[in-house]
Amino acid sequence: MNTPLRIGVLKLADSAPVIMGQQQGIFARHGLEIEIVVSPSWANIADGLAWNRLDAAVIFAPLAMMTALGRRGHDTGLRPLGRISRGGNTIMLRGANPVEGAWNAGSPGRQAFDLWAMTIGRKPRIAVVHMYSTHLLILRRFLKMIDVSMEDEIDLSVMPPTDMIQALAENAIDGGCVGPPWGIEAEQRGLAFRVGGSATVLPDHVEKIIVASGKLLSCDATGRRMSHALRDAIAFCQQPGHRADIARALAAPVADGGLTLPLAATEAILPGGDARECVTFAGGSLLPSDFDWIISDMTALGWVDNAEHQMLMRWIAPVPANPAPACARLL
Amino acid sequence: MCEDMVPGTRLRVLVADENPRRGHALSETLHADASLDVLTVPPGTALVDAVRACRPDVVLVDMNRADRDALDSIRALSCSAQERPVALFVDEDDVELMETAFDTGICSYNVLEALPRDVKPLLRAAIALYARFRRTRDELTEAQRVLAERRVIEQAKRCFMKNEKTSEAQAYRWFQRRAMQTSRRIAVVAGEYLASQKKDEAS
Repeated sequence: MNTPLRIGVLKLADSAPVIMGQQQGIFARHGLEIEIVVSPSWANIADGLAWNRLDAAVIFAPLAMMTALGRRGHDTGLRPLGRISRGGNTIMLRGANPVEGAWNAGSPGRQAFDLWAMTIGRKPRIAVVHMYSTHLLILRRFLKMIDVSMEDEIDLSVMPPTDMIQALAENAIDGGCVGPPWGIEAEQRGLAFRVGGSATVLPDHVEKIIVASGKLLSCDATGRRMSHALRDAIAFCQQPGHRADIARALAAPVADGGLTLPLAATEAILPGGDARECVTFAGGSLLPSDFDWIISDMTALGWVDNAEHQMLMRWIAPVPANPAPACARLL
Repeated sequence: MCEDMVPGTRLRVLVADENPRRGHALSETLHADASLDVLTVPPGTALVDAVRACRPDVVLVDMNRADRDALDSIRALSCSAQERPVALFVDEDDVELMETAFDTGICSYNVLEALPRDVKPLLRAAIALYARFRRTRDELTEAQRVLAERRVIEQAKRCFMKNEKTSEAQAYRWFQRRAMQTSRRIAVVAGEYLASQKKDEAS
């Protein structure tokens, strides 16, 4: 009996292609039986990939790379399969914005930060969703852009995006860099204002990718079917006309195939929505240029050494196509 | 912040379980070992804060906790020399143990400065308890499913008896025969019968 391919996702709007791929029958049309595993933490996704509990996952590249380098304590065969989304991260701060709109680079941004920090009355506590996230890299670049040192001038913490909403409400944190739709959700609830994000720091940067592990890696034909199914699902999700349907599907309970996302905020950040920082679903093969800035920042932060840097450059290089083996055991 | 805190030099184990009943049961199990100080994370306390406050040597973590990501980052984010780095416990020589742990929904972190000590017995105890809770939950779910099916069959029988003016035994035989003819369970046939009746009423 065939077993379904297990794809790990988190409760984020950029998981939409996997959710809609299942709900619209796109995976089935490509001959794939899929089980979606909604994970409570990025650590679960990384461990699931490292210990063959997941065959694929929607993940940000830094954590995928650290997992591929064996940082979960276990060697894992992990390959990038394709791109899922670009951009969509927002940097949110609580309190009142001392200037209008997003903060500009250089001294105007620095002045805005100083004015805001004075009202906070402590070293600002800023949260990201995981240490090895694009969110942390985007936050670091944003702070550098306004001449603020991430290492010295803020206290960095890690918490799930849903907890950030509560933490902002209780003043336990003063801001965060968070994925869609949670930044807009904080803004809509009047808990925080946006000072920047993907669009202001690094427009169209690659955000989520899909990586393959386990049995998906052992069969090129299945991997290709997965890539084609995701290409179709991503094209579906990028259509503004599907925005309301996708938002409703993502807002549904997990038991009904959804992700229990907040409906209004999700509708606002999907393609065609009215948020200033919308997610862009962009499929296709990953290019070395998608990863250059990530590997460069990871090296600058001391997460990887020169030898690992070279390993990552090989990891992101396209894999030459092999003749499809007979995957009788698989789908 | 930490409950059941006992001073001493014994191995300090922090139990971080979102399920209070299971967390309590695991703590009770571990308490039987006199060489352990067993601590628990109070409800509403972030895992990373509990680790900082309790200073455990080993942390047993329910993998359903979303705040496990913070524990992953504790070393990298640490600004303080006082911070004790922690790392996910991994036993490369016992892949089966690790896979069973992940399947059961439990994992273990070690404080790297602590004296090396075999944490596998702790992890095994936690796996056994989690597996028992899962079996109980599965049995409960199965019992609830059987009860729900019985309710549907009873309701369909009553409806059929009223519509067709039959006895209860005749109604049951009708559903039984139809289930056999279509190779489906009686509950499925009964559910479809009720749905068709509702549709007729609505039209």
